[in-house]
Amino acid sequence: MTGMKGHAVAMPDGARVLIADDDPDIRDLVEFKLTQSGYAVEAVADGLAAWESFQAERPALVILDVMMPGLSGIDVLRKIRDSEHGAVPVLLLSAKSRDSDVDTGFAVGADDYVIKPFSPRELLHRVNGMLARAR
Amino acid sequence: MNGFRDGLSAVVQWLYDVTSVPILVYFVVINLSFLLLIITAGFQFRRYLRMRDASVDTLGGELALGVSVVMPAHNEEVGIVTSTTAMLSLRYPRHEVVVVDDGSTDNTFGVLREAFDLVQIPREVPMDLPVRAEILGVYVPRDGHTRLVVVRKANSGRSEAINAGVNVAVEPLIAFIDADSILEPDALLRVSKPFTDDPTRMVATGGTIRAVNGSRVVSGRLVRLAMPTQWVARIQVVEYLRAFLVGRTGWSRLGMLILISGAFGMFRRDVVVDAGGLDPDSIGEDFELVLRIHRRMMDEGRDYAVEFVPEPVCWTEVPSTLSVLARQRRRWHRGLWETLWAYRGMLFNRRYGRIGFLALPYYWVFELFAPLLEGFGIVVVVLGLALGMVNVPYALLFLVLAYGLAILVTLAAMSVEEWAFHRYNRWRDLLTTLAAAVLENIGYRQLTVWWRLGGWWASLRKKEQVWGVMTRAGFDEAAD
Amino acid sequence: MTTRQLLLGIELLVLLACLVLALSVIWSKVTRLRRERRTAQSLAPVRGALIELAAGEPGGLRILRSARGKTADAIDEAAVALLAKVRGEPANQLVTVLEDHGALERAKAEVSHRSPVRRARAVQLLGLARVEDSTALISEALEDEASEVRASAAYAASYLADPWLAAPLLRSVGTGEGIPAGLAADALLEMGVEIAPVLRAAMRNPAPRTRMVAAHVAGVGTFVQALPELRELIAADPDVTVRVEAAEALGSIGQDSEVELLARHTRPDQPTDLRRACAEAMGRIGSPLAHDDLVHLLDADDPRLAEMAAESLVAIGPRGMATLDGRRDEPAAGTALVLAALRAGQR
Repeated sequence: MTGMKGHAVAMPDGARVLIADDDPDIRDLVEFKLTQSGYAVEAVADGLAAWESFQAERPALVILDVMMPGLSGIDVLRKIRDSEHGAVPVLLLSAKSRDSDVDTGFAVGADDYVIKPFSPRELLHRVNGMLARAR
Repeated sequence: MNGFRDGLSAVVQWLYDVTSVPILVYFVVINLSFLLLIITAGFQFRRYLRMRDASVDTLGGELALGVSVVMPAHNEEVGIVTSTTAMLSLRYPRHEVVVVDDGSTDNTFGVLREAFDLVQIPREVPMDLPVRAEILGVYVPRDGHTRLVVVRKANSGRSEAINAGVNVAVEPLIAFIDADSILEPDALLRVSKPFTDDPTRMVATGGTIRAVNGSRVVSGRLVRLAMPTQWVARIQVVEYLRAFLVGRTGWSRLGMLILISGAFGMFRRDVVVDAGGLDPDSIGEDFELVLRIHRRMMDEGRDYAVEFVPEPVCWTEVPSTLSVLARQRRRWHRGLWETLWAYRGMLFNRRYGRIGFLALPYYWVFELFAPLLEGFGIVVVVLGLALGMVNVPYALLFLVLAYGLAILVTLAAMSVEEWAFHRYNRWRDLLTTLAAAVLENIGYRQLTVWWRLGGWWASLRKKEQVWGVMTRAGFDEAAD
Repeated sequence: MTTRQLLLGIELLVLLACLVLALSVIWSKVTRLRRERRTAQSLAPVRGALIELAAGEPGGLRILRSARGKTADAIDEAAVALLAKVRGEPANQLVTVLEDHGALERAKAEVSHRSPVRRARAVQLLGLARVEDSTALISEALEDEASEVRASAAYAASYLADPWLAAPLLRSVGTGEGIPAGLAADALLEMGVEIAPVLRAAMRNPAPRTRMVAAHVAGVGTFVQALPELRELIAADPDVTVRVEAAEALGSIGQDSEVELLARHTRPDQPTDLRRACAEAMGRIGSPLAHDDLVHLLDADDPRLAEMAAESLVAIGPRGMATLDGRRDEPAAGTALVLAALRAGQR
């Protein structure tokens, strides 16, 4: 599989990705996009489930929606970073607004940030890139 | 013995003749007013929800003004770090957290210093608001970018701690939050939205508070909402629900919001400074500040607005024992009395518009005097029944009108609340709430009448107010 | 009829009213849930295709486009929601689906529907789908009598980003209840540099909210053309919030030429908040020209002002740092130096 401009991108090989978003549309479309590209995706609907899944499954990459009731994406990110396997790449999803959450997100240790409305293809590229760098 | 009985009967008979109708009138009017306020609140909810749907998540954004979250703390070593971390993690483009250690005698400061790696800075705190107690030091995290400021001061109470926090705060908006309260991640966004929508006029907003007892809290966040296990707390859930609908949302819609509860309010910093901050000698605290702001704005003839955000954003632990509850209710009623009395000059004063002619008189009659009238009614009915001069039909009528209707008012409030926010998902919780609404009128309410009167009486006798310590039952914190 | 009977009658009415209220509320919730379930059921067979389309996989496009009736309505509702979540090619595909279902044409008509809820939804759709010739309709909707319709129009304006809407937006912000100022600001900031004349005019508008939004946008968007009006606002606007906003805007725009004006407004005869905002703005401009005025402020009575001046001295570079160093025993200078060191990772 080739990415942009003919650079070879390694096949995901079933790498585990966790996505947490309380919006079922986003959950489903991201799950579809990533699964289609060869990832093993687990989708959860809230922060607490995300944290519990992270501890149990140790995914290779985590996608968190910032806006979730209960534990927000930032809360989960903070817990992940404070935990034993805290170096996992994390991408945050946030709703359209200027600079909102971006500073906090990066300050707490997010690796990347995507603002809605987002391009699913671009999201996939970012995920590929983050995992390639992490290897 | 007979003479005494006859004398008492005569007195009660006279009381009965004089008050039987007025008391009924009172209950009719108060319940009617509640109903109107609930309907008004319902419209407000509908409008709020429509705006929310229409705006499709446009919280935050370019115009979001910076917020300083001021958290006074006294002997909170157990939960202060979790609380502070949770406040720092709130979703907001620009906010800082100011923790004011009000002369704690436990290790509150120690745990903060360790958790955030605090270093002292030689900052001189501006005295925008007068603070009597000495400021002992100002500290920030060593990493240089976590927006936390910890101020240590000599112990002098919550009001002064908040004033000191306001002095240190740098952002244009201030939110007051108690260290044991829990905020939803979007709380700042929601409660600041009225400011973002109307930045030149809005001066104060408040958010809805609910009881967190029995719910599951993780990392300072509410993750699973459930009804409390104790009935005392369950009944308070119902009370809060009704009070916020009736006492805040309804009034806000009518443009007469004068009570922003102590647990979560947001103000414009310059307005708070201009009004003089919290009065350390007043038990009315935030209620008193809001009235003072209203008066000042109207005195200056300024175009301003105070709004209430109907969505639940703040969760707090309510007393789960009668003794703590009693102390709280005494204090609240005392604060209400002292504040209303202090601002009696606003009553029926044309300069103060609807607040002077509607809101304040309403509070006088239906909040302040309520326990007196209700207590009176109870005494008359009970004595009358015992002495055989009140017939059972009247007693039943009284019961139905005073309490039966209250249950229905609560039911109406619950329905509106459920329709708007459906926070409690389980049928069991809804049924428990209904049961609590009924039980509230069998003993609980009568007790609060007694306590409220007690607080009022204590104030009239100029007794010293003792705040006391609420031993926390703690949340259901998950070990993780 | 005795008084007692009258009271009883009223109370029973209130009782009845409460019951009716509770029942109607429950009924409205039940019907809403039922409607949602029905919509979900209509959508169920094609939801997979719709999600895949939103994810960039156009395989199910034909099925979606050719749907009719209740299924089409359900698809339309879901597609509009998705347009706020995805962009790029998938968004374009979603718009073609809506187009084929006639949803766009219907939306244009429904902008004048009786129900405000329908109007608001129609306006939103026009914005999210970036329907080209809907600018005039959006402009009208900005003056709608229902607040949620006006808010939707402002929201739609930020998607359309048509500079023609700048003037209606600013006018609507200042009229009566108006539109949420934040939404207006967001929309204006999407519009680009050609709105400068409109911003300048808006800063002379009698409504303070309009002036404030215009000043804010001028600052964040670095509209250099708006400097003359900003200068007027900071000097003479009757509303302190607007003056402070103008000061912040001057700081954002960052022109050295404004340092002197800002310095003038740090004098003791100015409101405290304005003095502080100006001191901060001088730092954001970062020009060494501000040095002497900032040093003067280190002696101010207001400790916060002194500290802000010190922070600004840090921001203007080595000369400022050197001056602070010489006064590091003072609280303001000392704090600014410590904070700067912490940020740089020292200590």
